[in-house]
Parts: sequence; C-alpha cells; structure tokens
Amino acid sequence: SSRLFAVIRFESIIHEFDPWFNYRSTHHLASNGFYEFLNWFDERAWYPLGRIVGGTVYPGLMVTAGLIHYVLNLLHVTVHIRDVCVFLAPVFSGLTSISTFLLTRELWNQGAGLLAACFIAIVPGYISRSVAGSFDNEGIAIFALQFTYYLWVKSVKTGSVFWTIGCCISYFYMVSAWGGYVFIINLIPLHVFVLLLMQRYSRRVYIAYSTFYIVGLVLSMQVPFVGFQPIRTSEHMAAAGVFALLQAYAFLLYLKDRLTKQEFQTLFFLGVSLAAGVVFLTVIYLTYTGEWACIHVDFFFPRHTVFYSHLGPFYAKIHIPIIASVSEHQPTTWVSFFFDLHILVCTFPAGLWFCIKNINDERVFVALYAISAVYFAGVMVRLMLTLTPVVCMLSAVAFSSVFEHYMGDDTRREKPPAEDSSDEDDKRNSGNLYDKVSLLTMLMLMLLMMFAVHCTWVTSNAYSSPSVVLASYNHDGSRNILDDFREAYYWLRQNTDEHVRVMSWWDYGYQIAGMANRTTLVDNNTWNNSHIALVGKAMSSNESAAYEIMRSLDVDYVLIIFGGVIGYSGDDINKFLWMVRIAEGEHPKDIRESDYFTPQGEFRVDKAGSPTLLNCLMYKMSYYRFGEMQETEAKLDFRTPPGFDRTRNVEIGNKDIKFKHLEEAFTSEHWLVRIYKVKHLDNRESLDHKLRSVVPKQKYTSKKVRKSYLFQ
Amino acid sequence: AWQSGVGGHLGGLSVSAGGLVNEEVKRTVDLSTHLAKITTELVLSNQGHSAVQSFILSVEPDLAPHLAYIGASVKLPFPTHITQAERQLVVFQGNHYLYSPYPTRSQTTRVRLASKTVETYTKLGNPSKNDEIIEYGPFRDVPPYSEDTMKIHYENNTPFLTIGSLTRTIEVSHWGNIAVEETIDLRHTGAVLRGAFSRYDYQRQSDSGISSIKSFKTILPASAQDVYYRDEIGNISTSHLQVLDDSVEVEVRPRFPLFGGWKTHYVIGYNLPSYEYLYTLGDQYALKMRLVDHVYDDQVIDSLTVKIILPEGARNIHMDTPYKIDRLPNQLHYTYLDTFGRPVLVVTKDNLVEHHIQDVVVHYNFNKILMLQEPLLVVGAFYILFFTVIIYVRLDFAITKDPAAEVRMKVASITEQVLTLVNKRLGLYRHMDEVVNRYKQSRDTGALNSGRKTLEADHRTLTNEISSLQARLKAEGSDLAEKVGEVQKVDSQVKELVCRSCQEAERLVAGKVKKEAYIENEKNLSSKRQEFVGRIDSLLDAL
Repeated sequence: SSRLFAVIRFESIIHEFDPWFNYRSTHHLASNGFYEFLNWFDERAWYPLGRIVGGTVYPGLMVTAGLIHYVLNLLHVTVHIRDVCVFLAPVFSGLTSISTFLLTRELWNQGAGLLAACFIAIVPGYISRSVAGSFDNEGIAIFALQFTYYLWVKSVKTGSVFWTIGCCISYFYMVSAWGGYVFIINLIPLHVFVLLLMQRYSRRVYIAYSTFYIVGLVLSMQVPFVGFQPIRTSEHMAAAGVFALLQAYAFLLYLKDRLTKQEFQTLFFLGVSLAAGVVFLTVIYLTYTGEWACIHVDFFFPRHTVFYSHLGPFYAKIHIPIIASVSEHQPTTWVSFFFDLHILVCTFPAGLWFCIKNINDERVFVALYAISAVYFAGVMVRLMLTLTPVVCMLSAVAFSSVFEHYMGDDTRREKPPAEDSSDEDDKRNSGNLYDKVSLLTMLMLMLLMMFAVHCTWVTSNAYSSPSVVLASYNHDGSRNILDDFREAYYWLRQNTDEHVRVMSWWDYGYQIAGMANRTTLVDNNTWNNSHIALVGKAMSSNESAAYEIMRSLDVDYVLIIFGGVIGYSGDDINKFLWMVRIAEGEHPKDIRESDYFTPQGEFRVDKAGSPTLLNCLMYKMSYYRFGEMQETEAKLDFRTPPGFDRTRNVEIGNKDIKFKHLEEAFTSEHWLVRIYKVKHLDNRESLDHKLRSVVPKQKYTSKKVRKSYLFQ
Repeated sequence: AWQSGVGGHLGGLSVSAGGLVNEEVKRTVDLSTHLAKITTELVLSNQGHSAVQSFILSVEPDLAPHLAYIGASVKLPFPTHITQAERQLVVFQGNHYLYSPYPTRSQTTRVRLASKTVETYTKLGNPSKNDEIIEYGPFRDVPPYSEDTMKIHYENNTPFLTIGSLTRTIEVSHWGNIAVEETIDLRHTGAVLRGAFSRYDYQRQSDSGISSIKSFKTILPASAQDVYYRDEIGNISTSHLQVLDDSVEVEVRPRFPLFGGWKTHYVIGYNLPSYEYLYTLGDQYALKMRLVDHVYDDQVIDSLTVKIILPEGARNIHMDTPYKIDRLPNQLHYTYLDTFGRPVLVVTKDNLVEHHIQDVVVHYNFNKILMLQEPLLVVGAFYILFFTVIIYVRLDFAITKDPAAEVRMKVASITEQVLTLVNKRLGLYRHMDEVVNRYKQSRDTGALNSGRKTLEADHRTLTNEISSLQARLKAEGSDLAEKVGEVQKVDSQVKELVCRSCQEAERLVAGKVKKEAYIENEKNLSSKRQEFVGRIDSLLDAL
C-alpha cells in the first residue's frame, strides 16, 4: 500500500516519461485490437521517419494491461484503461512477492521465504519501479524474472519436464516484457556450466537445461522485437555453447558406460579435435560471408550498447554520449546502494555465506545470481533492480538462520527449567544466556524495524512523485500544485493543428506524444542518434542556422523546459551540455563543446558566459523576455536584479533577446514550459498575400499523400 | 454569427378584438455581455371588433437561424484578429424598429453597451448618447414589418465564451445515487488572438489580454457530491470548490487562459442523492431533473446531447420535455453487473441559452424485484466458485492412483479418530474425580458405585474401539499401531490409579485410614497419574 502514495497525494496518473509511451501504446492496443497494435506504424514519432512500434517494443506490458482491461470490460466492469495501467505495477509487485517466497522456500526454508517476501514487498530498490503510475516494463519483468528462476530451480530439483515447460513459458513472458531477459539466458547457462565444473552433473540438470534451451529459444523468437537475435547475437551465444557442451558431456558419459577405457580415450581425442575443427571452419565461413560483422552491427543501437555498457562501466561513457546522458545509466554510488537497500546490503553477504557453506544445486544458482547481479548493479544505477530481489532473498536467509538459531534454542531451553525447577544453578546460567540471546534478537528486530521505517520514508519522499505534476509546500504547510507540464501539453493538444510537428529535446518526446498527441521529432526511444544530434544542433546553433535545420525538418513548434522562474533544476539549460555533446558527435565541424564554455572552462549563463552560448537558440528561447522580469514573488529581497535565474542563481547575461524567425506561442503559468512557433517563410514576406492562403495547404496535402503511399 | 436571447416581457395586453396596434413600444437592447438581450415592453391596443386570443411576435428573417430562446441578433468581433494588448471591438447589427406584423404608434429603443468607448453607431433620428447608453426615438407611426439597420461598433471586452458541444450523461441508480457527467467543448469565439502570447505581459500588465478567460463559475445543485473536474490527461488542478447553502459553486479554471480562438475540453461530474429527483409510486417512477444545467452565466450552447441512463429493466419509458427536442433512438449501456443492458434515452438540441435550464420528466416502470438481480448475481457467482473449489478438492481427478498417498490419508483419518477417543477416555477419568470428590462430601456410596459402573462400562467400550482402530492401523502396515498400543498400556495404568484413588476415598470415608495418610497417598497417586497422562500426551503428540 505504500506504493499508492502517489495516487493518494496526487491522482491516478501515469508518471515520468517512458510510462507515457507504454500508456499510449496500451491505449492503442485497447482501442484497436492486438493485430492492429502489432502492425502499428506510429507516424507521430520520429518525424519524418516514423516508428514501427509493433516491431520495436517488448509487448508484454501492453498486452498484459490490455488483457486485464479486456477481461474486466467483458464482465462489464467499466474500468478505464488508464486505471488499469496505473495499478498494474502494484498488483504485479504482489505477485513478485509471492514468487520470491516460492523461490526462497526452494532455496532455504519457509521462514526465510516469508522474510524474503516481506523484504521485497517494501524494499525501496524495487518500489522505485513499481509505485502506482509507474507503468514500465520493469514492473512486471521482475515478477517474470523471479518466477522463471523459481521454476528453473524447481525443474533442476525435480528434473521434471513439466516444471521446465512452466519455466519456458515464464521465460517467454519475460522476453516479451523486458530486454533484461538476456540476464536469464546468460545466468541459467552459467549455472549449468558451473554445475558441470563442480562435478554436480545429473540427469535432472540435463533434462531441465535441454528442454529449457530448445523450448525457451523457440518461444523467445516469437516476440517480434527479439526475432532472430537469439541465434545471431553474441549475448545469446553462451547459452548455445553451454547447450552443446552439455550434450557432448552427456554423450561422453553414455559412451563411458558402454566402452572400455582405452577405446573411450581415443574417441575422446578424436571428438575434441573434430569439434575444434568444426568451430574453426565455422568462424572462417562466417568471417568470409560477412555474417560475423552482421552479428555485431545488425541491430538497433540502444539495446546493443546498453548491453555493452553492462559489460564495462566505461564503455558507454567514452563512446556514446547519449547513453551517458541518462542519469539512470550512471555507475551506482555507495549512497544509492544504501538508500535503496538499507540494512539488506550489509546482511546479504552473510546470507551468501550461509548458502555457500551448505551448498547444493540450487544454492549454486543463487550464489551466481548474487555475484552477477552485484556486478551489474555496480555498473549502472538502473540495474540495481536486478540486484534487489537476490539481496532480499539472501538477507532473508541470513536473518532467518540467525533467528532460527537463537530463538529455536529459546523455546527448547524454556522447557527444562519448567519441569525440574529444583536446579537453581542451571536456571541462572540459562538466564545469562537469555540476556545475550534476547539482546541479540532485540537488536535484529530493531534493525528490521528501522529498515521498515526507512523504506516507508524513502517511498514517500523519493519515489512517489509523478514528476508530471510538481508540488511545492508553503511555509504554512499548504500545498501548491505546479501543473505547468500538463497546462502546456494540453494547450498544444487543443489549440494547434492536429498535424503540427513539435521539436523538443528527446526527454519530452513521449510526454508530448502521450499528453499533447502531436508529432514529435525525437523521443525517449533514442534509436536514431543522428536525428537526435540534429535536434541538438538546432538547439545549440544561433537562430538563423537553427531556422534552416528546423525548416528542413518541417518544425512548427519548439518546446523547451525552463526552470529559472521557480528554480526547477531539471530544465533544458542544465541538460544543454549534453545536447551540445551529442550534436558535436555527429557534426564536429559546426558544433564544438569548447565554444560553450568560458575561457576558464566554466559553463555560465551570466554576462561572463561565452557569446556562442548567449546567442544560441536554446538560450534565447529560455530567457526570452526573462530579462524584464523582476522577482516580485520573492518580496523579501528587492535587490535581486531583473532576470535573475533562480535555478542557477545568477543574473542572466543576455537580456536583449529578439527573435526573427520564431515567436512565443505559449508559456505556462510558472514559465516551466515555453512553446515557440516557427514562422513560415511565407509569413515573413508580408507583402505577398496570395501565397499565404494557398501554399501551405498544398504542401501539406502532398506530404500526406506521399506518406500514405509509402506505407501502404 | 451570434446567438442571443430575448426576454419578451409583455406589458399591458389587451385581448378584446382584432386589428391590433402597438400603442407604445419600449425596447431595451443590452449589449454589455457577449449576449445581446433585447427586452421589449409592448402596449397593444385592439382596434377591431372581435376578441383576440393571441398575437404574433415575429422575428427578423435574417436572425431566425440564430434564434435561441425567442429572438436573436448578430454581434461580430471587428477587427476579427487582435493582439494580446488590444481591446476587443464588436459590431452589433440590429433593427431600429420592432419587427412586428402590427403598426406601431410610438416606440423607443434604449441600447446599453459594455463600455463608454464606441467607435461608430447609426444615427437614425438623432439618438442621444449618455455614457454607456444610447437612446433612439421615439419613432412615431411605424408601419408593420419595417426594418432599418442599426449598427453599433463598440468596445466589449467580456469574454465570448461558447460551448461548442455539451454531452450530459445522467445515470440513475435505484440504490440511491444519480451520477451526472458533463463533457464540455469550450471555445472563445471573440476576436482571434493574433501574434504571440506573452506570459510576461499577461502576468505583469493588468490590461493585457483583457478579453481572455481566466476562470468562470459553474453552479451545481446543492446536494452535489464527489465533484470531479478533469480531461483526457488527468485532473485539472486549478479549480476550487465552494459549498454554499443552496448550491455548490465550482470555480472552473481551464488549464490555460482562453484567448480568442482558443479552445479547451473538459469533463465535470458529480453525484446526487436520488431521493431529491426520483419520485416513485408503486412500480412507477418519475425522474425530474434539469435537462441542461448551469455552466457559466449567460451561457451559450451550440449543441447539446443528453443521455439518460435508466436502471436495467426499466419499461414503458416516456419523456415530458419543457420544449421541443430531438429524440434519437434508444441505446443500451452496460456497466457493473449488467446482463441485458440499461436503456439509454438520447436527446439532442442545438442553440441553447440560460433560459433553457428547465426540468425534464422521465416516467418509467420498474419492477422492484429486479433490484435483487445484481446482488443475486454476485452471490451466484461466488456460490459457483466455491462449489467448483469444493468439488475439485473433494473429488479425485488424478489419472493414476497413488496407493501410498491413499494409505497415508487412511492412516491420518484413523489416527485422528484415535486421538478423539483417547481424549474422551481421559475426560472419563476427570469425571470420575469429580464423582469421588462429591462422594467424599456426601458419603453416598450408591452414587459412587453407580459412577464407577458407568466409568467401567464407558472405559471398556472406548478401549475396545481404540483397539479395533489399532488393529486397522496394523492392517495398513503403519508403525503408528505400536504407539497406539503403548498408549493403551499406559492408559491401563492410569485406570488402575483412578480405581485406587477411588478405593482410598472409600477407605477414608469408612474411617479405615487417617486423613494425613490419605492426603499423602492421594498426592502420590495424583503425581503418578500426572506422569502417566503426560506420557500419553507426548505419545499423542507423536501421532
């Protein structure tokens, strides 16, 4: 229920950025049906390229929400699709809790399972992705992840095809839900491989893995976005390799039973050399035909590079600024480890130690899971999410075995003194022990209590803001709602032509598409770096150069976020350097990052700032007419000069801003969102009245015709 | 084009004979808002000989399409596009005379404007202008159907707010609630904003964007509850609700100020208690509600659609409307727990103003038994659910038989029986203790003997039953049989002890032992018994 803070404090609304896209596509799915969704070509995104949504999303989330909505409406429970989407994540975190219980019960015992379920229910690391309104892939993927692991452990334990098929279906669901399925398809082979190395091979493992690999592979290829990747890309090669190895190993074992030792050895060498030859030839063949290159370059960059950045902390930073520019992709700090996991981060190594001490097949698995997840979480804040469940499980193991040890003794020792009460010495001894034990138990309970308090606090303060609606508190505790984003998006939706194209930085692409329902140039999908760089270039050039770019991209409106009036720090000026960097990556001749710094190497927006910065489009749009603005709200301080930027705490450097090709179309109440209209050329030549009424219309229709022709 | 309303207040009416003449006409044209309200006071005289039952009020043919309530006028913003800083100027075109089929003796027209600033006005008969008021006339002896264009170009900064379409849904529930939801398309139809919208000017200068709309008040019924105000992207946080004695006032503030040509769209909804609007007599019901309600003062609605959703099973529906409206074919609506759908009445009407806020009455029959349908549906669904679960749990659907599991289940049931029997037997001993105690006080040997007899008899039957169960356990091949045997052995010792304590008591009563010795003895016996019973308990636990 702590996941519902946001709904209670604000309303039932979709949060953040990506969820808006998911919501929009779910809406599309709910209103147009499944096949229409799979074939959906979204002409409102990535103008003029468009986006094939059906083939470039993991549809699990949308299909789940759409299915729930469909079933409810079939029963005449008239729930709006928005509410289904908002409450999907909390519902699925309930299921996650159950599957964590099952998994931990398989690994350790029921008590640990119960503790693990409690932990995962409130741990901030998971709550951050599953509050009501956070309608994102991760919300359901963690459930799928845990459930797949549970079924895998179960099938390794029993060696039954039934459980393995269950595991495959769950894996299929995971594949359809989140790109993180790669984690499963690498971890399970790793488990099998380590089991082989540890001489723990058994028929059960053979049955489980062979079935899982074949069925899982076939099922995962059914997801359009994944397609043939499982047999072509390097991420999936480990699974294939382990599969081959397992077959070979099983075959050798079989032969060993049938042959004498001498025969077996010759055969073994023969087999090994043959295998080596085959591998060698394959590599040569692939290199020759260029398939190998294909394997590396063939697919979309974000998934690919995100995966590479999983491998090494520094890969993305050096190579692709767009990935580094997302705060979620930064390496994790110790603070955020503690913030998201609190006491669990200290206790889970203990749980790991317990597991390794009493090792068996499935504990090997959880140990590998823990180690790999810790590594990934260290690389990227975002992958903290995969670490969280295993931390919960292992901490639960630690806590549960400690409690079992001490409190179990407790109950047993309680009996003897009750029966023979004559033995006074004994009682005193045990009394001493009692003190220690109860002290320790109390301490542990205190820790758990503090953990619960911390979790609630973090959830309430850090993870329960929709970020679409901002709230500020007055001195008397009353609340002000700053609804500027929706104000501006709704203005766009109501008062612009249905087909206008809005240029903004990619962060706001999904929101514009979702809330304003207008065509955007770039959005949070970030699949086309050069397109983003072009927008970045327009933002960081001077007005006339930017105008050229905007005209070539048919931009009608430009939307920017400006926090200088209310002191909102996540605005476009603060993100501006990333725009410059990304633009520089594609257009090094026109944009140079160093131009935007002062000679001392500072990024300043006041008078000392570099002239390139003070005259670039982004700066002008942000501070247009801001120079005239005297802070009257801050009545305490009359000395603040006009045009005082409260986010950066400086007086702006360029107060005389005039536009030639743009005009202010809308600015929200607290100036948070500013929208500019790009004037058409015709408009500028004010003498020629005849062209004005005819030309844009013609242009427009021809464009439509061409577009529809293209995609028929 | 612009719609308007005319309140036709008829002054002294004489209805005696034909050949009507307008003796005196006083017209007041109120142009101070976005509506042109023309009020006409007539004094008619009948010059004919026969009685007149009615007279004709006619409207200029040009204005007929704009007619909203009764009468119309044309008011257009001119210039049609203004910048944010400019003021809105409006041209009103009307008639200097009363458009009437009868000759008029004398008439005056008084025009009230919104401000002193007037660009031009027609100067028929040298009108006098005094601040915001222009007075025409008096005109003498005007022939019937005379027309002369009156044109006034003046400043009018009142917002020209129009509701493009309003869909009002009224959902009646017989469980005590009426839900009303209005979906409103709002448009500023004044002079269109030209050029940039500057937030700076708008915030800093009070006269900037003077004809724009920041907010307006909607008055809801006094019993309105759970008011919501939202649009496609969520709750509109810029509204205020004020509960007054006789109404609920919502200060509706669109997300953004509405300038000329801008539009917005929102949904406002609330719940009403049905006892205020729903009347019943046996199976007959009557819903009396406003067909259209207040949205803002002097409202103008281009097109209205009202949907009235009646409860599932309503029959013989008919509707009494205050004025003529178009009925569309009925629809069906499905919501929670509906099976065959709720009837929906759909009516539409164009061009409405404030005077159209009137009650509509919907009569229908509804069988009260049908109220039980939905709860029964839920009960039935749960019944079926539980029944399936019961059947699933009770019956064996396995394809193969698992003998071991069956044996286990059998053994479990037998041990359960054993447990109850053993506990019953221990209960017998406690009962015997009571009998002995009573005997010690009453010294009634007969009672003691009879108690002992019943104990013996009950004990024997119970022990026999347990042994037979033990035999069955043995037959199933369970090792629990031995434990049961042990229990039996210990039990016989307990029985012995009980008998002995019984005898001791007899001896005490007979005076064969001293009291101290008896107490000592009794203590011994009871501690031994405790021990045995404890052993039985632990054995039972093991079972």
